[in-house]
Amino acid sequence: MTAPQLQAAGTAGTTPSPLVRARDVLASEWTKLSSLRSNRWTLGAAAIVTLVLTAVVAASFAAAPHGGQRAAPVDRLATSFLAFAEYLVLPVTVLSVLVFTSEYGSGLIRTTFTAVPRRRTVLAAKAAVTGAAALVTGEVLAFACFFLTQAILSGRHGGLSLAHPGAARGVLAAGFVLAACALVGVGAGAVLRHTAGAIAVAVTVVYLLAVLCLVLPAPWNLRLGRFTLPFAAYAEVTAHPPTGLFSPWLSLLVLIAWPAAALLTAAVVLTRRDV
Amino acid sequence: MRPGSGVAIAVVAVALAFVVYCLIDLSRARVRNLPAWAWAVIICITIPWGGIIYLILGKDRTKPAAPDPPPPPAAPHVPRRIPAGPVQIEVDRLTKRFGHVTAVDDLSFAVRPGRVTGFLGPNGAGKSTTLRVILGLDAPTSGTALVGGRRYQEFIRPLHEVGSLLDATAVPAGRAGWSHLRAIAQSNGIGRRRLREVLELTGLEMVASRRLGEFSLGMKQRLGIAAALLANPPVLLLDEPANGLDPEGIRWFRQLLQAMAAEGRTILVSSHLMSEMAQTADHLVIIGRGRLLADVATEQFVSGTSHDVLVQSPRAGELASLLTASGAVVAPENGGGLAVTGMDAAAVGDLAVSHGIAVHQLVTRHGSLEEAYLTLTGASTDYRAGRPLPEVQTARAAR
Repeated sequence: MTAPQLQAAGTAGTTPSPLVRARDVLASEWTKLSSLRSNRWTLGAAAIVTLVLTAVVAASFAAAPHGGQRAAPVDRLATSFLAFAEYLVLPVTVLSVLVFTSEYGSGLIRTTFTAVPRRRTVLAAKAAVTGAAALVTGEVLAFACFFLTQAILSGRHGGLSLAHPGAARGVLAAGFVLAACALVGVGAGAVLRHTAGAIAVAVTVVYLLAVLCLVLPAPWNLRLGRFTLPFAAYAEVTAHPPTGLFSPWLSLLVLIAWPAAALLTAAVVLTRRDV
Repeated sequence: MRPGSGVAIAVVAVALAFVVYCLIDLSRARVRNLPAWAWAVIICITIPWGGIIYLILGKDRTKPAAPDPPPPPAAPHVPRRIPAGPVQIEVDRLTKRFGHVTAVDDLSFAVRPGRVTGFLGPNGAGKSTTLRVILGLDAPTSGTALVGGRRYQEFIRPLHEVGSLLDATAVPAGRAGWSHLRAIAQSNGIGRRRLREVLELTGLEMVASRRLGEFSLGMKQRLGIAAALLANPPVLLLDEPANGLDPEGIRWFRQLLQAMAAEGRTILVSSHLMSEMAQTADHLVIIGRGRLLADVATEQFVSGTSHDVLVQSPRAGELASLLTASGAVVAPENGGGLAVTGMDAAAVGDLAVSHGIAVHQLVTRHGSLEEAYLTLTGASTDYRAGRPLPEVQTARAAR
């Protein structure tokens, strides 16, 4: 059995290209993410609950006595993502926070950084894998929620098709919102290291800042609120954006800025700290 | 806290935040044309869901740990071409402070290939800190720690250069042993075949599919050793690797280390147990309070320890006075007999014969390594039962 072992160890001499190195670390992080049973269960359960809630919301709109003819017309697009935005984002953010904090909690982070001493590479790989998983989950569920809602609404109000102005953008953006929230979670986890604190911060960014902005007096609630993730997300997924919010394109910048800030902070902090 | 319950508590907390948000939303009667019963359904579905997740994930599913698999025979490890030039660990004037605490204080030593080097010191002496600095996990306050002449951070695929085991219990409880090792292997481009080989080498191939939470401490140690050997590295750094291994496992591990050293690898093994190191290590680096106390070959350390001669004779009193007269120091032993220092066994025997004194027993006794180690490190122990340290007292007085 000598020959194969020697060959297996023989890669030491060759210096792999950056592309190969990146692929290695990505594969490693994907193994970590996908091999945890609790991740799969939590994500699966969250997806099912999201669909159920979406159906409930759509049904309640469809059954409302005055339909959309009351104060404002029913936003048939934004309705699709009510459960998606107000429910699914939470478990996904929490799982993303755990990507780093669970490793810090168990001490596995030392093994990780010993195997890959370039910590920013680890951060990038974790962010890429988590973000991609959230993006795929988000897009799949966004389309599912959209079609489910429109199917239920079609009886009374007439459902939208993807060809409706803003519909395709809204559906695609909803999935992206989930990825953005996941990346905020990854960054918060890397910076704070402790699960409880990191979840508190991530949930604040992903939800509570917007709630706080709502409490402000009239012009300021949206003036500040449009810089928060939930309002930016709302501007993306609504067919009739309220005046005061950013346009979809500016909101997209907001959606990119929050995770970028979180990950940049993590990149700075990770390399300057003892593990 | 188990990771599962952490997830569940987080989910519950987040669900509560969601509910609060809903209630604020309701009270402000914002644009939603959602009837109250829909909100009620949303809230009712959300809260128990957190509870259900807690029941699923937070439940204690720990099964009694399976007995350790029988250790495999210490298969002669595969020889490996050692890169030209001495691969060695070089710690040079290393200092590491954590706030006011100096964990490692101006420490210098070198570890050479081809032998097992024991890294000894009492708890809190700075062994783990030194290893973490060598592995690039902690930044040194001053000084350097090089492996093969390079800083650890410069390695592209470090597992091919240095195998290490810091804390065998630092593993994710929810992941299977195989997945855990596979993730480590993938990060350094190591294939499945080698993965199976190290599992076989450490006797874990039968339990690799089990979750790590079900592993016993001994199995985790084996897993850590498997991870260290993944890329068949020329340098090994192991922190207390024998903890939790059963006697048979310790013997297996000792033979493995010695076989690998014989192939020309550089091996640094830390321990706080002298007795274990005495049998494994060829060379000893002993530190206390972050400072170097000794850097010697094990044999030299052994021969340097105090020794005396035990002699038993029916005419002990007579012999004692003769010995004292010839310059030896004699002390009576508890079991009857004399402990003689300052004269070797041959001289004692000759003296007895020349005076016609019968000798029933004549033995040269070496002080145990343990004793020598304790004498050496005694002044530098951080935690010791019964007696406050002088440093502690001065610190108190200063306050």
